[in-house]
Amino acid sequence: MSNSSKEFPFPFTKDSYAYSNNSILLDPARSVAVSSHYIEEVKLKRNLLNQNHERCFRALPLSLEAQWEVLLLVFKELSTCEPQYFTLEQRGNAYQFTNHLLREVESFSFKDSSSIEVEPLDLAGRHVQEDLIIMGDRHDGLFLEAGQLCFPSNWSLTFVLGMEFKAIHTPVPGITDNRFIEKVERFITRIRPNSAWERKNWSVTITNKLDTPLETYSDWGKLRYNVTEANAGELVNLRVEVQRLYRLPVTNDILFSIHTYLLPLNELISNDEWLKKFYTNVKTLPKEIADYKGISLYKRELMTFLERALTQRKIER
Amino acid sequence: MNDRYVVRVEKMEQVTPTIKAFTLSSNTATLEQFGAGAHLTLHLPMGNRQYSLINNPLDMKNEYKIAVKNLGSEQGGSRYLHEQLEVGDIIEVSGPDNYFPVHLEAQHYLFFAAGIGITPFLSMMSYLSTLGKTFELHYAAPHVENCPFHEEITNKYSKQAYVYLGSREEKRKKLKEALRNRKVGTHVYMCGPKSFMEMLNDSTKELHFPQRVVHEERFRPALVIRDPKPFCVSVNGKDLVFVKENESLLERLRNEGYSIPYACRMGICGSCEVTLCEGEVLHSDSFLTEQEKKSKMLSCVSRGVGDIAIDVEQDGSEK
Ligand code: HEM
Ligand code: FES
Repeated sequence: MSNSSKEFPFPFTKDSYAYSNNSILLDPARSVAVSSHYIEEVKLKRNLLNQNHERCFRALPLSLEAQWEVLLLVFKELSTCEPQYFTLEQRGNAYQFTNHLLREVESFSFKDSSSIEVEPLDLAGRHVQEDLIIMGDRHDGLFLEAGQLCFPSNWSLTFVLGMEFKAIHTPVPGITDNRFIEKVERFITRIRPNSAWERKNWSVTITNKLDTPLETYSDWGKLRYNVTEANAGELVNLRVEVQRLYRLPVTNDILFSIHTYLLPLNELISNDEWLKKFYTNVKTLPKEIADYKGISLYKRELMTFLERALTQRKIER
Repeated sequence: MNDRYVVRVEKMEQVTPTIKAFTLSSNTATLEQFGAGAHLTLHLPMGNRQYSLINNPLDMKNEYKIAVKNLGSEQGGSRYLHEQLEVGDIIEVSGPDNYFPVHLEAQHYLFFAAGIGITPFLSMMSYLSTLGKTFELHYAAPHVENCPFHEEITNKYSKQAYVYLGSREEKRKKLKEALRNRKVGTHVYMCGPKSFMEMLNDSTKELHFPQRVVHEERFRPALVIRDPKPFCVSVNGKDLVFVKENESLLERLRNEGYSIPYACRMGICGSCEVTLCEGEVLHSDSFLTEQEKKSKMLSCVSRGVGDIAIDVEQDGSEK
């Protein structure tokens, strides 16, 4: 098995898929994770940030306190949970963070913006694989106030900056049915300080491209037309986002981190259980969700590919 | 957030004749950070008690500080803390948690405190001072001797603090005056006895403050059902279901074939909501509002008392 397979957070637990609040409490609370793709993905993030900074990083002035809180939280967590890769030293207000994987040192004074070259969230994000979003918990709702977003699944940070949680979710089909998104929002506002919840979201990407922002849709969206039964195993990737919601204790805002994993179908189908679950879930996926996730264009080819794999491996449908 | 852990009493200070401040710390554990307005739960022999943390969140050196007024009742937690506790003692705590967070989007803060209700504002004022934000404290007490932290406050916040001693009527008038002619973006925070809060709430309504900028500690901690009892449920006006003491309503309903969605099973996400038609319920969630509790219950944690009647949706949708 490859590292990608071993680490892959397979998202399906049931035989059919519907949007649900599938969050679980994380004990101990964590905001980020380091995978075997750390170095290549962090380098890719940095390239994207350097080339398209406006697209990948946005922050409102109000988020500055929370940004500093996130910077220290992430650096502390990395050095405590992965001490072989990261260390953090503190002398009064002065900090020194060492990233042994990249052989880099970051020195800064806490809450002194002149001591760093980019905004605090931007700095934190350059040392993790995750996209990092700060949701401000305001008296009138949860608002997206800052983000470092390199690997979105067809959305735009520029578009959602400053938007309220429910408004951000309006493109998702059926999301307001039974007050679903309203309940999710209330759930988030009730997350207690220093606790974290984790959920998985999934989609499908053509090629192993992590950076699929709305802004470059014209480049990667058309690849959906290229899927055939013969190339699906190579071209089609199951894309899983492990999302964490972490209540920042001091500012009381929410850190939303997204760690994206890709697995080509050729690797996925070598696990019988995964193959079967993926097949039944895509097969029974409601049309509006399939459309939203962009699967409808090549669903027939994908199904034929999966059915052939099931037959070859003698698995009952 | 830590569930339960122990801290050591490092220091005790008499603040007023009836109020003591306690400094709690740990040699072995790193105490978690907290925000202004947060509280700590103390697990005492007579039950759990919540106290606001009074230190500056941005200057927390592995210690929590609380201030406790001795309410004097025989079995009371405050009396225990005042009379039984000594420096060096170990107590069990959980948290910190925060039901009274200070919203950074405010342009200006008006704090209203009465007596020991001052405690959450001590952390808020030092926090906001560090951030350079503007605030005012309007603080009512019967006399200077019964005005906790009077000296500290008037020294540290001489320009922001207004202390009201005088008669009840006079105080009311002045407090109301303090609410008048405020700029858009001003947030009001209040903490004190019930009558004090009601008076201020009425005044904010009279003066047309948007209710979302008026803050008090609203959410009570979720009730923990220590000794669950069996109960009987009539579902959708027909089926009768019996919930045993060692199972939840959610489990029972799912076993009976109702496809109730669920996620957290901790009363936090609201997924497992059912409609309450009749009967008394012990609500043990931290999700529903007081208003919603009249007609809804979360089946993973809350329990009926005796007989109840509920409606559940039949279509089995997971949303
Ligand atoms: C608080 C942080 C969150 C942010 C910033 C966020 C943001 C987003 C965005 C930008 C999208 C894509 C919308 C589009 O197509 O333009 C999305 C989709 C979605 N979100 Fe969230 N979200 C958050 C939390 C959650 C949570 C906690 C849940 C559920 C428990 C949730 C459920 C969903 C669902 C079901 C979709 C559709 C995904 C798909 O089918 O691929 N979100 N979210
Ligand atoms: S399952 Fe989350 S509140 Fe009941």
